[in-house]
Amino acid sequence: MLWLCLHFPDFPLELQEPADEGCLAVVDKHGSRRWIIACNEDSKEAGLHRGLDATTALSLVPQLKLMDRSRSREVTAMKALAAWAEQFSSFITFDVERWLLWIEIGGSLKYFGGARELSERITSSAEALGYSARTGVAPTIEAAALFARHARNLPIANRQELRDALELAPLNLLAIPQTSLEALHEIGWRRVGEILALPPDQLARRFGPTVPNYLQRLIGDQPDPREPYRAPAIYRRRFEFSAPVESVESMLFPLRRLLGELQGYLRGRDTALQKLELHFKHAKHPATRLEIRTTAPQRDAVRLFTLLRETLDRTPLPSGVEELSLLVEQFVPIGDTQLDLFDAAPKRDRSWNDLLDKLKARLGNVAVKRLGLADDHLPEKAWCVVRNDEAPGTDVPGAYPERPLWLIEPRPLQHLPRLLGKPERIESGWWAGNDAKRDYYIAQTPEGARWWLYRDAGSSSWFLHGIWA
Amino acid sequence: MQSSKALEQLLRSFQIWRGQEIAPVRACSTGYPELDGLLPGQGWPLNSLIELIPMMEGIGELRLIVPALKKICQQGRDIVFVRPPHLPYPPALSNAGLPLNRILLIEPDNDENARWVAEQTLREGAAGAVLLWSDSTRNLALRRLQLAAQESGALTFLYRSPGVLDGASPAPVRLVLSPQAGALRVEVLKARGGRASTLSLHFHSAA
Repeated sequence: MLWLCLHFPDFPLELQEPADEGCLAVVDKHGSRRWIIACNEDSKEAGLHRGLDATTALSLVPQLKLMDRSRSREVTAMKALAAWAEQFSSFITFDVERWLLWIEIGGSLKYFGGARELSERITSSAEALGYSARTGVAPTIEAAALFARHARNLPIANRQELRDALELAPLNLLAIPQTSLEALHEIGWRRVGEILALPPDQLARRFGPTVPNYLQRLIGDQPDPREPYRAPAIYRRRFEFSAPVESVESMLFPLRRLLGELQGYLRGRDTALQKLELHFKHAKHPATRLEIRTTAPQRDAVRLFTLLRETLDRTPLPSGVEELSLLVEQFVPIGDTQLDLFDAAPKRDRSWNDLLDKLKARLGNVAVKRLGLADDHLPEKAWCVVRNDEAPGTDVPGAYPERPLWLIEPRPLQHLPRLLGKPERIESGWWAGNDAKRDYYIAQTPEGARWWLYRDAGSSSWFLHGIWA
Repeated sequence: MQSSKALEQLLRSFQIWRGQEIAPVRACSTGYPELDGLLPGQGWPLNSLIELIPMMEGIGELRLIVPALKKICQQGRDIVFVRPPHLPYPPALSNAGLPLNRILLIEPDNDENARWVAEQTLREGAAGAVLLWSDSTRNLALRRLQLAAQESGALTFLYRSPGVLDGASPAPVRLVLSPQAGALRVEVLKARGGRASTLSLHFHSAA
């Protein structure tokens, strides 16, 4: 096993949409004590840092905005990240409390071109979601975590390399209780190597079983079994805004993230979607529900984002949005067209489908039509709109008597233009319930335009029905 | 010698479908040799906005471009009608040799959306021909269309009404269509790389 660990040092801040300028910090509390667990750049410049007491921080920066840590939001976000990570490996596990996510990469190394390449790819993919991450690669779970927090980018391939790398690592990187760390420090130990040299039973006598147990898992002397995370078969992801948002612009950040995560999930399962739902929760109105359907199986986050944006632009929202959630219930196999990158014809199909989706998203489904023929004598019934890309049937050129390129709603004529040639009698059966008997003529107006007219045999009235464009 | 050979190869790679001589403009024959002779590249130029201004409806304004559209369909490419004034009648399209599975009808509710559709379709590069009906006089909007047409490799026809004749147009090719004794009179107002002239076209069909 080879583990890549992602550490998100600013996780509680990055869970939310980016805040405006100003000092912002997230605090955790225990009893009456509240302390900073993450703070933004402005706060850091003002001298604030992780671990600082909230009261002290406020006295240093009175305009500081404090946010309470929300573990439930962290769990939601971490699960979405775990689903996203499925594109890199089938074994994903995480620790929300420490903002760590592990990806077993031993099996994927060859496919992705080595640990360093994979590591870079994962980091930049996380960045695209709006998360800053550090990575560590090591043969044990805890060592990968330690090096991720240590920001050591060099992958460690085996246990011997691991021992060497740990030798000089600072003691405070160990994930053991603060009191134990302080005690070790008081004794005068500074490096991990120093305590790894101690006999485990001696450590156990002093600190209890936690510390030696952790150290053995760290170096791989003890197994460290974890439950792999399995994303549910229905994809559902919520995003709560810190305050209700009104504009589409402010929804773009979470949308981008949610679709990016979804793309990773779909890639991991080698599947795609044709329908996606988005729900917007409002304070005093029922939720707005929005649905996207794509012509071909789709999983490209950028394409889906464009579609959603277009649809969103023409969907009025009754009031501010408190929360949005994305839902995909059904998955479809990814079409072959998406795989054949070098073949021109599928590429054209793909750009067609992308185009149709884009047009439908902005104009609505009914504005985009394919036309077909229908088996009816009446000209206005001899055609149809073809639904859902079903085959419109084969048409045979010249199968009809001459017909005008424009057909219009029959319009009564007051003045009859000059008729050319013989009439064409068109009758519809009395059995159809609308027995019509019409004589169609080609006619020419004094100005020189050509029309298609008919005389209703019943009423003897004249109608304009088409234009020879 | 070397360079003229390279040039020849380059010109050949432009895929000129029909023409009396090799010209550096990609074009698709109109199907009427006398009209081809007036147009740059001996046909409807690809990568260029072609503005057609019929003086009225029902004079063969659509039939004029049917031979070229047929060729597009034969190549397996699609034709997109954007906001036409009436229904392009499927039996007539089928009769004319335009297979219906190659036709897409898009009906946006306003002129701005229509121009957006045309531009998106051109940019996506999926269609073989785009037919747009728009009376926008916004020069910037038309210029955007011209740019999109330039990059697309598609035939781009813009139908406008006679009211626009007073203004200038960024379209490199501009034709005025009017009826003349049972024929279609085509006046080439502007054809970058072609000739300004007038001719009459007689269609073969009875109508």
